[in-house]
Amino acid sequence: MKAKLKGVSTFLLVLIAQLTFAQERSISGKVTDQNGIPLPGVNVVVKGTTIGTQSDFDGNYSINANMGGILVFSYLGQKTIEKSISTSNIIDVQMEEDASQLEEVIVVGYGTQSKRTLTDNISKLTSDDISDVPNPNLQNALVAKAAGVQVTQTNGKVEGGINIRVRGAASVSGGTQPLYVLDGIPLIDPTGGRGEIGNGAPTNPLLTLSSNEIESIDILKDASSAAIYGARGANGVVLITTKKGKQGKAKFSLNLAQGFSQPTNKRDWLNSKEYVELFTEAGRNSPFFTPDEGQAFVEDEFEFQSGGTDWRNAEIDTDWNNQAFQDGYQTDADFSVSGADAKTSYFFSGAYNNTSGIIKDNELERANARTNISHQFSDKFKAGMNLSFSRTAIDRIANDNAFATPLQAIAQSPLSQPRLADGTPNPNTLYGNFLLDAENAFFNTIIRRTVGKVYGEYQFIPSIKLNSDFSYDLFSQTEDSFRGKNALFQSTNGEAFASDLASESYTYSNYATFDKTFDEKHSINIVAGTEFIKYTRRITSVTSQQFPSDDLSTVSGGAEITAGTGVNLKSSFASYFARATYDFDGKYLFKASIRRDGSSRFGENVRFGTFPAVSAGWIMSEENFLKDSQTLSFLKLRGSWGKLGNADIGGDYPSLFLFSGVSYNQRPGLAPIQPGNSNLTWEQSTQTDFGIEFGFLDNRISGELDYYVKDTQDLLFSVPLVPSSGAVSINQNIGILQGKGIEFVLNTRNISTDNLSWTTNFNISNNINELKSLPNNNADIVNGQNINRVGENVAAFYLREYAGVDPANGDALYYLNTENPDGSLNRATTTDPNEAQRIIAGNPFPELTTGMTNTILYKDFDFSFTLQGEWGASIYNAGGRFQSVNGDFYDNQSRDQLQRWQQPGDITNVPQARLFAGNGTAQSTRFLAEADFMRLRNLTLGYSLPNEVIDKMGLSKLRVYLTGINLLTVTNYPFEDPEARSDVDGQNNPGQTFYSAPPATTLTMGVNINF
Amino acid sequence: MKLHKLLYVFSVFLLITSCEKELEINPTDNLPGELAFTSEANISAILVGTYDEAGQAATYGGRLQLMVDLLGTSNQVFWGGTFLDPRQAFTKDLLVDNGFVDGIWGNSYETINQANLVLDNLETVTSSTEEKNRIEGEAKFLRALNYFDLVRNFASPYVSGQANPQLGVPLRLSGIIDYSANQETARNTVEEVYVQVILDATDAYNLLPSDNSFYADKYAAQALLARVYLQQGNYTDARDAADDVLANSGHSLATNFASAFNNDVDSSEDIFSFQVTSQTGTNELITHYASEADGGRGGDITVEDAYLDLFDDPTEQRANFTYINPANERRLSLKYTNQFGNIIIFRIAEMHLIRLESNFILGSSIGLNPLTEINALRARSNALPLLGPLTLDLIFNERQLELAFEGFILNDIKRKQRSINGIAWNNTSLVFPIPQSEIDTNPSMVQNQGY
Repeated sequence: MKAKLKGVSTFLLVLIAQLTFAQERSISGKVTDQNGIPLPGVNVVVKGTTIGTQSDFDGNYSINANMGGILVFSYLGQKTIEKSISTSNIIDVQMEEDASQLEEVIVVGYGTQSKRTLTDNISKLTSDDISDVPNPNLQNALVAKAAGVQVTQTNGKVEGGINIRVRGAASVSGGTQPLYVLDGIPLIDPTGGRGEIGNGAPTNPLLTLSSNEIESIDILKDASSAAIYGARGANGVVLITTKKGKQGKAKFSLNLAQGFSQPTNKRDWLNSKEYVELFTEAGRNSPFFTPDEGQAFVEDEFEFQSGGTDWRNAEIDTDWNNQAFQDGYQTDADFSVSGADAKTSYFFSGAYNNTSGIIKDNELERANARTNISHQFSDKFKAGMNLSFSRTAIDRIANDNAFATPLQAIAQSPLSQPRLADGTPNPNTLYGNFLLDAENAFFNTIIRRTVGKVYGEYQFIPSIKLNSDFSYDLFSQTEDSFRGKNALFQSTNGEAFASDLASESYTYSNYATFDKTFDEKHSINIVAGTEFIKYTRRITSVTSQQFPSDDLSTVSGGAEITAGTGVNLKSSFASYFARATYDFDGKYLFKASIRRDGSSRFGENVRFGTFPAVSAGWIMSEENFLKDSQTLSFLKLRGSWGKLGNADIGGDYPSLFLFSGVSYNQRPGLAPIQPGNSNLTWEQSTQTDFGIEFGFLDNRISGELDYYVKDTQDLLFSVPLVPSSGAVSINQNIGILQGKGIEFVLNTRNISTDNLSWTTNFNISNNINELKSLPNNNADIVNGQNINRVGENVAAFYLREYAGVDPANGDALYYLNTENPDGSLNRATTTDPNEAQRIIAGNPFPELTTGMTNTILYKDFDFSFTLQGEWGASIYNAGGRFQSVNGDFYDNQSRDQLQRWQQPGDITNVPQARLFAGNGTAQSTRFLAEADFMRLRNLTLGYSLPNEVIDKMGLSKLRVYLTGINLLTVTNYPFEDPEARSDVDGQNNPGQTFYSAPPATTLTMGVNINF
Repeated sequence: MKLHKLLYVFSVFLLITSCEKELEINPTDNLPGELAFTSEANISAILVGTYDEAGQAATYGGRLQLMVDLLGTSNQVFWGGTFLDPRQAFTKDLLVDNGFVDGIWGNSYETINQANLVLDNLETVTSSTEEKNRIEGEAKFLRALNYFDLVRNFASPYVSGQANPQLGVPLRLSGIIDYSANQETARNTVEEVYVQVILDATDAYNLLPSDNSFYADKYAAQALLARVYLQQGNYTDARDAADDVLANSGHSLATNFASAFNNDVDSSEDIFSFQVTSQTGTNELITHYASEADGGRGGDITVEDAYLDLFDDPTEQRANFTYINPANERRLSLKYTNQFGNIIIFRIAEMHLIRLESNFILGSSIGLNPLTEINALRARSNALPLLGPLTLDLIFNERQLELAFEGFILNDIKRKQRSINGIAWNNTSLVFPIPQSEIDTNPSMVQNQGY
């Protein structure tokens, strides 16, 4: 590759030398940007000839041309300008930014490209899109903004995980999250998959980033764009670019905001009167007692729950929702200073966020700082450094599957008071009272993160430059937890836990870029390079028990050290990549790329892989037959094909047969923990994409339509083994998954006058995925309530089918669904869940997603809102068999359970209340619900003070604004919220909710000040 | 190009080439499987790991005993806990996807596979014959213990005095390393599994030393044999095995009833127990039997009047071995109050009960006269002596007084062909279902009747 590159450059040097001999007359001048700042690197070509040059470091150019000729000035992101040569030998040019969407500059990985000539499918979001959504989790800003990109927060916890699915998942058991690349640094999720630390629920790997430092987010969706990230691109690539100083004098920006939050929805539970009514009935109907015995039995329980208060008259009537939820608030303060002169560009920023969640004791406080500086040392050499540090402190609460998590309080009886008369938490409740933990325990996580990159760029000749980047990412997390004597289930006189995670990653990349236009018609861009990445993680933890007093809360205070861990993990990638784009006459576009990746994670036999991609485009609107069309201003056809990999296949050593050290009575032992597979390798996804981009009426109406097919082969499966073989599962590359979809984007400038403008961005996409082949001769793979079966969606719900209630006796019924001799299903019903066969009952992922953003500017007012819609997903309420089972056990029941069957002839879906009888408690479609929804995702109203007012104040901008998030949701979904999903084991059992908190509705007021 | 530029390009190229070597990374906190069988020390460590596996919460850490007792109880205890899986056992309505049953099955076979790995690699143990015998004996003991509990609980009961061709559980007798191969297997018969259990336990008896610290020794294997023979109704061998333990193991009844339980270190009465400390092992019985103050969930299982009514002498220690949890006024058993207490598998009182029952049925008095023996056991708890004559009902009752909540009732009922709340001993609802996860992955597996 290197030798070839050298050959090409030598050829070019000769070519340029030859061209310069054909001289007539020398024209020179200076090229500046719209602010009058010199613009280097502008292509200057004599129209209709092969004569061309570039502006130098100070924006000066010099070119030989004939009188009467035309000079064409072009630069990425700027409008192309033509000037005719008359008598003057000096032609100065001021370029103008091209605001039209089609000329947007897109970050493509190891370079940028104009959206106009792009042959890939990439969605771009700018800082304006992002800053409209104040939320500590950056990805929330992407919701409903990009076609084919589904962003779902796991649930309403402030630090909660975020799922991003680009064009549906390319994987079943492997990672399904995209690769995040921050200023060229591929990020990992350092806390992922490690049981030694955390509380069992994932945190967002981008939690440490503040939106005020982000310039743009580019989402590489198709193979052609993502293939440059090879073995890690299969789930899409999210390129995050931080801000740089823009040419001009220093600009100070300040943003202050204060928000208030509430849960989007709370469910209704029985009040005391209803609770007593339902459970008295359940006791009387219980098959384990005579009616009177049963009633006496539950009344004993009421006595206990009510702590001696008068339950018959509902003396206590607690709504435990009010204990679990709190009013959240959010404070944001951030500033930045940026600017650039001809040589130096600088950006400094700081941000502070303090979020108090909607769930009791869930808080986050974050401070960020960043500096991005670059300096042009000579006209050949430029170097710079991006450096950021942040500190994020989180008060975490237990994961959804823990009694101590506040949301599980909704299972408590309304007869119980949350606190005793003296104000201390009531210890005598049905379930452990989470308030005991809230007051006697803490779990504090602090993440300190430093990400830095130094880079140099050497311009050998105008058309060839070499970039060398070295990046370092230190993610240092400590956790401190203490559970005092009175904490929930605490029986060891206190327990303290401390952990330390130091995750480091080094990325070293070198690449050369050749960029040249020949003969005015042939634009060539070639990038070739290498990259080496090494990740190391070191985790230690220690636990101690037996504390003399709750006043001591660190590990040293405990008399006995009872547990400790120490783990070192490493993985590495070595890669070679190249990409060439060729553009003929601004009409015919071609691109090819290749990446060869090797990783320590893959089995010995299959360590390296090669990932090629090709694409082509045709800008039809440049053709003569369309060029003069008044209506059609832009039309491009494009198609791409490529192969991508998914290297996220389960930890750092997923291919090895491993034994782990264990301990029995403090004696050392060994136990097998992972069956080996030396053929384990990346998942390989082949994607094909066809697209049309169009613009009408001077691009007032523009859009894109894409169709893609995504075939993942060598699909990684954590294949469940026969349990009697003594192992649970094995990682294998077997299986084929196909995803297909259509994406449509429409951007319109509805009104565009001096005082009023109104733009609409609409996107809609569907994704259907289907398993084409599975291990063991296409045998079903069942994980709890989810199944992978050929011909069905990934992780489809697999459940007994609930058939309602027998009107004669109130028994819960299930469809048999056994196969009749003729192959049809036997739709007779049974009361015995063991006789009922499971069926495919739903898809945990949406099939249709849409988003629409409207932005209206009227004089000094700005107004925008985003609507979001999702259809086709179902959610299984794994807590349903406790929450909504007609009084089977004392858990408080959802209010719909009052519709229970009471006497023969009653037609209802809620069976007769029978204490302990399991009438309708089996896992079934009774607890499955469709999660279609439409949501007013965000709404922002701003007012900028008129210039004549703020000029006197010395400001360039003063804007006050009001922003709301999740203001309105339209849905028939019966549980908390379609975005409240369980944060435990989401991979194998997606689409489940289990006492999961709904997201927040947040209303924020703020002010932007620029000067 | 100038030389220094070329040098730069060249050094970048060299650097990335050397980086390729960095793709070879071995873990430092886990042992690659191919090294696991290369030394005697490792084989010995895998055996220790097998104990750790067997002591997990899913089986001998407590859930096996808990589920068996809840399935076997009529009204002696009440399940008031919030977990659905044990409640299904309590109400005799087990579902095929019961998580606790699934855990028992999977964990038992994990233990069996690890024991098999030890047995497959015995030739690596070369330091001494004694050491090799010890390792082989312990592995066989653990394998026999697991197969016995699997076959009693996942298959129709063994019926004494006839062939037992009914479906048992799959016998896997060699360790599995290569999981890429097909692991499908069918069920052996109940008879075949019992034969294997007795073979393994007898081998273990012959190989093991008479004292082996807290690991299984010769008499642990003999105690297991006594229990197996009793379940088969083979009273002669049951009696002789129990007598051997009582006469030769050196274990004897603890001085009073209370001191037989909640021990951090095995008491004189313990023949074999799974070890629990604050750092290792787990005692899941505490979770479900004990108050919050003792590390439990407040008493998911309460002791009911029907149990206390079994006592002919209400003043004796065993009749008063309960307490009222002040937090919720539930009556809880005092057998489980130390969250770091060992989990007893065999204690000497059971051997007395096996010997006296067998002697009584056989009309013999090996070791002790049955009436004398039952009164000796009662005397330890200050219970008034029985005056006689002894009956099978009295012996059955005595087992409940002594061994209640220790995992015996279900299989005593099956052995004695009694019933639970009107459910006959051989009713299919008293057998665990084969877990759905096994049915889903093993096409040769046949589900139990009734599921």
